[in-house]
Amino acid sequence: MKLRLGWFRKWNQFKTVISKTTALMSLLKAKSSRTREKRLDTLNAWQGNVSAAVTEFSDGEPVKRIRTFSQSTQDDLLYALRLLAAIRNSVSVIHAGRGCVAAGLFHQVTKGNGRWIVTNLDDRDTIMGADLKLRKAIKEVYHRYKPEVIFIVSSPIVAINNDDIQSVVEELHEELELDIVPIYVTGFASHHAVTGYDTTLHALLKYLAGKRGEHNKNNSVNLLSVAEHPDDRREAERILTSLGLELNILPDEASHGTFRHAAAARYSISLDQDTGNYLGITLRDEYGVPYAEASRPIGIGATGRWLSVAGKALGLDEAAVKLFHEQESERVQKALGDFNLNGVRVYLGLASATSFSVLSLIEELGGEVVGITVSRLDQLHKERLEELSSRYPVLQIHVADGQPFEEANIIKRLSPDLYLGDSAHLGQIGRLGIPVVSLEETPVLGYNGVIALARRFSAALLNRTFGAALARTPLPYKESWFRRSPNWHIKKEVK
Amino acid sequence: MAHHIEGSRNSCALHGALQVIEAIEGVVPVIHSTAGCGVQHFLGVNRLNAGADRFGGPPVSNSNISEKHVVFGGSSRLREQLKNTVKIVEGDLYVIVTGCSTEMVGDDIPAMTKEGRDQDFQVIYANTPGFRGDVHLGYQLAVKALIEQLPSLGKGEQSPIEGLVNIWGIVPHQDPFWAGNLEEIGRLLEGIGLKPNLLFGYGQGLTAWNRVPKAALNVVVSVWGDAPALLLEERYGAQVLRLEGLPVGSAAGRFLQTVGDRLNLDVTRTENFIKSEEKRLSTYLASIADTYYRAGFQREFALIGESAQVVGISEFLAGTLGLIPRTLIITDNPPENVREALLTTLTGLVENSGTEVFFSEDLAEITDIVRSAAVELVLGSALEEPVAVELGVPFLQLSFPLSKQVVLSRGYAGYRGAATLLEDFGSAILSKGYNSHISQESQVHTASESALYGS
Repeated sequence: MKLRLGWFRKWNQFKTVISKTTALMSLLKAKSSRTREKRLDTLNAWQGNVSAAVTEFSDGEPVKRIRTFSQSTQDDLLYALRLLAAIRNSVSVIHAGRGCVAAGLFHQVTKGNGRWIVTNLDDRDTIMGADLKLRKAIKEVYHRYKPEVIFIVSSPIVAINNDDIQSVVEELHEELELDIVPIYVTGFASHHAVTGYDTTLHALLKYLAGKRGEHNKNNSVNLLSVAEHPDDRREAERILTSLGLELNILPDEASHGTFRHAAAARYSISLDQDTGNYLGITLRDEYGVPYAEASRPIGIGATGRWLSVAGKALGLDEAAVKLFHEQESERVQKALGDFNLNGVRVYLGLASATSFSVLSLIEELGGEVVGITVSRLDQLHKERLEELSSRYPVLQIHVADGQPFEEANIIKRLSPDLYLGDSAHLGQIGRLGIPVVSLEETPVLGYNGVIALARRFSAALLNRTFGAALARTPLPYKESWFRRSPNWHIKKEVK
Repeated sequence: MAHHIEGSRNSCALHGALQVIEAIEGVVPVIHSTAGCGVQHFLGVNRLNAGADRFGGPPVSNSNISEKHVVFGGSSRLREQLKNTVKIVEGDLYVIVTGCSTEMVGDDIPAMTKEGRDQDFQVIYANTPGFRGDVHLGYQLAVKALIEQLPSLGKGEQSPIEGLVNIWGIVPHQDPFWAGNLEEIGRLLEGIGLKPNLLFGYGQGLTAWNRVPKAALNVVVSVWGDAPALLLEERYGAQVLRLEGLPVGSAAGRFLQTVGDRLNLDVTRTENFIKSEEKRLSTYLASIADTYYRAGFQREFALIGESAQVVGISEFLAGTLGLIPRTLIITDNPPENVREALLTTLTGLVENSGTEVFFSEDLAEITDIVRSAAVELVLGSALEEPVAVELGVPFLQLSFPLSKQVVLSRGYAGYRGAATLLEDFGSAILSKGYNSHISQESQVHTASESALYGS
């Protein structure tokens, strides 16, 4: 089509601005967070056993791999939309071509979340820019809905054209006396969708939390809940408030004031050390809110450990925490009865932190994890990998976000008895004929999570007819693919 | 200049093209764009449509371009992706579709397609960036690519096929009942001795598409089928028959009569078939009569949907069931030149009924229109549910997007579809409590009050 002469120059300017502003000053001075690959050496394409993974991260920066065949996957824009869907009294203006808000429609009609406006950039806008359109959209939605905050979400078109969002933000902030938060996602600058959470959380703190030093400390504890299931959030809330804590939950279901409150809280604890990492460390480094990082509270033991980390950090009465844990464990044990996973070989295809935590739950229930696919692997997982490698050095780890062709190949070789996943491609995994349990919409956290999960596991193993029926529909891949090694299309990047 | 849209339900051209490709057996899309484009389509279209997952959905082949491809061009990445897709994914035909980013960068898609052809890959392409238009444009672009580029693959059938009829204008998934609607139209055409070429859905693969130029007639169900029909008329001289909308109930009988006249079919056979279908529908109507009166089916309604749906469904509800079309909102942005005809048809459905017709795809605007309409029944998409709840009236989801229905083979087209529509809208009224319309006035009052505090 058309090649724009100006954009290449603009693009490089844009990149220079980003790299300059990410120097070691206030984290929030930067326009955006750094990508996960730059900040944590995150990998999205890798396969091998656990001890090889440990070596990979011990010998300095791991070598980045790319795929020579890939399937569509989540990107930073999608994760930004997912996170924004849960912010109260807000309107999101997606500065993009009309299709970039399709996922917003999903959040809106299935969960009643979010109000989505797309600027509907057309052919002309891709050449001339569309600042005026953005201004007009913001003013109109402001006057109609009077939200507490308006988000502007950028997109591939805007990132390539380098449309000036920042001046729109500044001008309309003054004119409307309204917080307007720009979220600079691109769809291509990072290979990791989770970068979209970081970008969004960066913007939320930068624009809504206030400047450091201007807050009066409050007594609440930040519970960092990033795109968690509502039941999971409630379970964590139940556990912590029963121990007498006053909680400030964010970003899920947060409103405008929650972020300011968070900057003055006495502590932050997270439900997921992966997704909550950027929020936790930024609150710590920028506002001095101490941050306790613990594995996800999935399974009885892990919930107990999570609670004890939180309890120690917050100075809770140790005996009270212990008693609570014992009472709850007993309740769960009673509910589980004699249910166990003895002799059941399980495959996990989950977001990284969830995967590692569900692994201990499966162990707790007597099952054996025979392989895992995690969405990414980085410095945050180093410790967990080392611990795993001491026990299961040959456990296979596959790093992929939404690459079912590789997963299907691996699973065919391993033929597990049960698959647990949270991706959008479970329909394909099911065609392999194995029982599948989706964790996408199933609460998993805390004591109640164990009970909910065990019920799903039990049903999946008790009656496998649907898997058998699905297996009559072949997978869309050629037979020859299954004779190749699953990592055939993962190559070291040639720079 | 395109205007901003709240709660957009018309997605983008890339997604429209994917809907076409995924609905044809053995045809495999290869997206050349950023990683999220396929997942956006899966979440924002497939999942709001009771699911559709052949080689679509999130496993769709996608070049997932990164920053370096934006800066230096992504053609080499596409070359690699296409080659490996052909190696890994079963398919009879591979279709390259593009997104905004690669079109802005200027990757040469025709050249990449030609390279693929030189290696004996069965591959065609369509340029489908979202900045060019919506899902309906995507449908047209993908269908055009198939019609224009398939013959060059040299597998077209040579001999004409008597009585073959192509059906155009039903956009898979954008019409949630596309599969059922196509099957019913096919059943009706078979009933008068023709060979329907449905082109999308179960059992519809390249064999069907290679037959396209051999059809005697191209039936156009919505304005979005105009472009392919005109292209075929121009290229192969095939006749075109335009319908005003989806033929529901007796409109299907009139449709069959017109087809019979055009193709000089046996008049008695056609009439007998229509008669037997009409008789069955009449029996259904008679059986529902008691409930119809008791529950007050005769209501003023608002209908929100695509042009072909709005015409077909309101024509049946008004023309056979005696309902009053109060507010009709057309969401698919039909071109200006057909709007006048739509207005004439729709406002004339019931004389002196004061039917109002609107064209909008903006949720804020649509909500305002419905809110002020004082109707007793709302038929629309999941997006209209909040305002229907606010008004306290029965509500049925029947246009895209759906959130509370599983649709596999049901449809509202034809005679069988008319019965299904009767079942669905009747159930909506009954499940709401059938006297709810009596206290309508007070409810409208409450609704406008609660609107002040609404979400």
